[in-house]
Parts: sequence; structure tokens; C-alpha cells
Amino acid sequence: MSQPPTRDPAPILTAPLSTESISQPRRLSDNQPQGFADRLRDTITYTRGRGALEIGIIFAIVLLGFVIAGIVAPDAFPFLSPSNLSGVISQSIPVLAILGIGAGILMIAGEFDLSLGANIGFSAIIFIRVSEAVGWGWGALAAIACGTGIALINGLIVVVTKIPSFIATLGMGFFWTGASLFVNGTSPAILSSAKDDTLVTLFAGDFGLFRSQLVWLLVIGVIAWLFLHRHKRGNHVYAVGGNAAAAKAISINPSAVRLMAFGIFGGLVGFAAILIAVRTSSMQPGSTDDYTLMAIAAAVVGGTSLLGGRGSIVGMIIGAALIRIIENGLILAKAPGFYIQLFVGLIIVIAAIFNKLMEGKAS
Amino acid sequence: MTIDATIDTATPLLRIEGVTKRYGANTVLNDVSFDIGHSEVVGLLGDNGAGKSTLVKILSGVVQMTSGSYTWEGQHHDTVNRALTEQLGVETIFQDSALVPQMSITRNLFMGREITNRLGLMKMKQMDAITSEILDTVVTIEGIKSSKQLVASLSGGQAQAVAIARAVHFKRSLLILDEPTSALAVRATEALLNYLRQLKSEGVSSVLVTHNLHHAYQVCDRHIVMNHGRKILDVRREDTSVEELTAAVVEGAVGVERFRAGRF
Repeated sequence: MSQPPTRDPAPILTAPLSTESISQPRRLSDNQPQGFADRLRDTITYTRGRGALEIGIIFAIVLLGFVIAGIVAPDAFPFLSPSNLSGVISQSIPVLAILGIGAGILMIAGEFDLSLGANIGFSAIIFIRVSEAVGWGWGALAAIACGTGIALINGLIVVVTKIPSFIATLGMGFFWTGASLFVNGTSPAILSSAKDDTLVTLFAGDFGLFRSQLVWLLVIGVIAWLFLHRHKRGNHVYAVGGNAAAAKAISINPSAVRLMAFGIFGGLVGFAAILIAVRTSSMQPGSTDDYTLMAIAAAVVGGTSLLGGRGSIVGMIIGAALIRIIENGLILAKAPGFYIQLFVGLIIVIAAIFNKLMEGKAS
Repeated sequence: MTIDATIDTATPLLRIEGVTKRYGANTVLNDVSFDIGHSEVVGLLGDNGAGKSTLVKILSGVVQMTSGSYTWEGQHHDTVNRALTEQLGVETIFQDSALVPQMSITRNLFMGREITNRLGLMKMKQMDAITSEILDTVVTIEGIKSSKQLVASLSGGQAQAVAIARAVHFKRSLLILDEPTSALAVRATEALLNYLRQLKSEGVSSVLVTHNLHHAYQVCDRHIVMNHGRKILDVRREDTSVEELTAAVVEGAVGVERFRAGRF
């Protein structure tokens, strides 16, 4: 057996790349952040690398502007009115943010799922059908299982056949939209008898200034953050998306990690489908296709790299919030419909350019 | 640094015998046998297409041999896959792909071997502290400010050093470096060769795969030259010269014969 190496206090392998500071070696272990201010500075420095900080500042500026406008002209710009905060913002942001988290985790692993919208449609129809038949508890389980299953099938196709996820999931998206029509017909599936007070309170409850969806976002956000940023499996997601060969060389199985990312994504899509179905009480096949690119946009705006390996949960949530708040502001300012698409489109392109610059700086 | 005298020098760390690899009718490796001793630096040389990369993949368990045997510290292993070589302590550092650029030094160092609590949540503070300690004591790398720095912000030489530090920290017993110097500046190359020299004193054997004979000659105890899938030369450093190695790499077995005929 090879002898375990003994640790000397002095450097064992000394080969400095520069000779300037040999006389006074600077020790990293003495450089650990000591006080609160140190740790905060550390955190900010290394959060920057994930692209969430800059978008957070932009979001704060936009939000501050809207709040001031809402205070100055509450009638012309009713941003702070309870009906706007609870009725619009706290219903629209959480759904997109949850989808953005799912799409973002998948993107960090280096994959896309363009069947997201079709998956929502199919899972929501399953939720409504099962709820109407045997109660919403089973319906909710079925929807999450359905969302996860659809995403895992995509994942298996990508991992086994090695075709790009872009094209595989584009095709499967059409398939599941077709499947929704096949299962449900062209008329919308309606959630009626299964919709009791508990269900509404749980998934769309109105608590004055906010709704249940916001609480779900907080719960999912914290769990997703713990997973992605603190759990070893989350670390593997970054590793595989950043450099699959390096991950493999250290005996992480890239296929297993990618499948896991698809599974998490699918579970979140299934859950978002429940939130959407309970809010609208109905689901028309093919009506949820917009969510696909909006979720990817939320992740990209929040600093998630299109090439994999980079992104953060906070960024994804801020990305979704920024898109929805600007939409909301334009509607409140009575901007014509096409303005909204125009602005959202611009934000996405600017965020992507910004990300590209960040990536250039990082490498 | 002394090498423990109780190591049985008669039993090599790794012995491969008659290793052959065929892809269809194409024989990439033909009956290759050699030993890698304890705390030995072995140079694996050869021109492009000599079979070096395939051999590296077989040694590290990524590719399976068609026939041949793999004996680790006297024990024969029938199937050599990545799980086995991981357990034996073989680590391969590929030229550009050893680390994940978008991740911090700490996360790279502990990638796949994270220190976690029972729930699998990483103990970041502990990992950061250990990383700083490693960067201070195992390898001295100038210009690194924090263990939280992204690997993308490191130079090629610094990144190689981090990869080597990782292998040393996790007490790997055989380090395979695939063309480690080809992307490095002169100074970083010197530093890397220095690390290799001193890895020995940590009890780590290493295989340096390169086509730069001068780099290999500076640091390797032994040189193995491959040509068209065959081993044509296996000599200790003191029994050869850069000239002979050059003849072997460029002209193959004929070159060695001609060189020896000229010398004797």
C-alpha cells in the first residue's frame, strides 16, 4: 500500500508562478472572512459571478420607480392597490417563477425542454379529469406524476439517443399538445364539482395583499435554493452543465444528473399546472404554449447561462418577477397590447447580451 | 520526505500484460505490457496515433481492453471500469477538462466528494477552510485570492495545479496527466514539472503523457515509447537520452536500432 502522505506545515510542493511574494507568503487560510461585513463583501463578490446581482439591482430600480409612481399618482397608476398586488402580481409572478426555476435548473444542467407549455396543458387536464372523478387530492398527485413522467420521457430520449434536447423536446411538445386534444377534445376541461374551499384556499387563496401562490413560491424557492446551491446533487448539476467530461472523470454520471434535472423540472411543471388550473378553473388544450419561452426567458433574464453551468435560484425568481412587473406596469399605464410584447422582447434580448458579456468576462 | 521503506518494491503498483484493443478490424493497441512502480514518474511518449490516448483510457477505466490483464498491487482484476479505478485511486487529469470553469475552486476540489451532513447538504464553510489549507500547504499557487474564486478566472497553470492538489488531497495513488503541458506557458510548465517531481515524495505515482520529449526527460524516472499501437521502448532515465527517445518517437523501433548501432 502506498503510504498516506504526511502533512508538513511548510509547503510540500512549492513551485510559485511568480517570485515576487516569496519572502512573505500570503496564506489563504488566514484570509477567511472574519466579521459580518467581511462575509457580506465575500457573498456579494461571488454572487456577481452568477449574474443575479446586476439583474437584482435593475429589478429594485424598476420596482422603486413603480412604487413611487403608485404613491404619487394612485389613480392613474394603481400599482400599490390591493387588487393589483393580490389579484395580478401575486398570481402571475409565482407561476412564472416556479416554471423559471424548473427551466433554469434544467438549463444549468445543459438541457432545454421546449415541451413545457404542452406539458402544463396535459398535466392540467389530467389534474381536472382526475379531480372531478376521485377528488382533488388524487388529482394533484396525478398532475405532478404526469408532469414528472412527461419530462422524464424527454430526459430518457435525450440521454439515450444523444439527440439535442432542443429538437427532441420540440417534437415531444407537439406530441403532448396532440395528446391533450386526443384525451380531452377541443372543448376546455372544466374544474367544477371538485373545486371546494380547501382547494381554492390552498392554491389560490386570497389573503388581502397576497395569495397562496406567493407562499408556494417561497416554499419552493427555499427548497430549490437548498437543493441547487447547498446540496451535493445540486453541485453535480453545475458540474455536468459546466463541464460534463470533468464531472465524468471524477465519476459523476452525467446521464443520471441530467435525468434528475428533467425529473425536478417536470415535478415543478406539474405543480404549476395545478396552480394555473385552480386559478382559471379550466384548461383549453394548446392554450399554454406561451409559457415555454416565457419560463426560459425568466431564467435567462435572471442570469442563467444558455450554455449550462451558470445560474441561481434568486436570479430565476427575479427574472420572472421583472418580466411580470414590467408587463403589469405597461398594462396599468394603459399601453397598447403590442407594447407589452415589444418591451418583454427587448428585456430578454438585452438580458441575453448582458449574460454573454458576463460569460466573456468570466472566461 | 522519505518513502516508506516497508513498500514492497518487487510488487509494482500497476502491471498490465498483453493489453490489446481492437475497434472492429482496426488494432489500436497490440500486446502492450509494462509496470508502473510505487512513487514512480513514468513518461508515456509517442507520436499522434501511437495509441497513447487509448492506453490512458484503458488505464483509467473509461475504455475496456479487448484482451490483456490488469494487476493492481499484485491483485488481478477482470473488469476494469471507472468504478474500480476510482476505488483503486486512479485519477486522470485531461488537458482542459479537469475542472469546471463556472464553479469555485472549493466546489471543484470537492466535486463528487462533497463533505455533507446527513441530508446531503454541503458544509461550505468547512470545505472552504480545507480548500484554503490545501492551497496553502499542498501546492503553492501564486495569485489566488480566495477559495471561492471561479476556476474560469485562473490561468491554465493555476488550474492544473488545483487539479493536482485535488488528486493529492484525496490520496490518489496513480495520477495520469494527459498532455498537461501543451497549453501552458514556459513558467507554468516548469511549475507543473516541479509538482510532478515532488508528487513522488507524497507516495503518488504518475504517468505523464506527452509528445514533448524535453518535458518528459526532465522529470520522468522511466520512459515508455509507443509506436503504431506497440510498445517499442521501455527504459530508465539513466539508460537513455533525449536523442534516443527522439529517434524512437520519430522513426519507431527502426530508429532505436539505428541509434544504438551508431552509438555502440
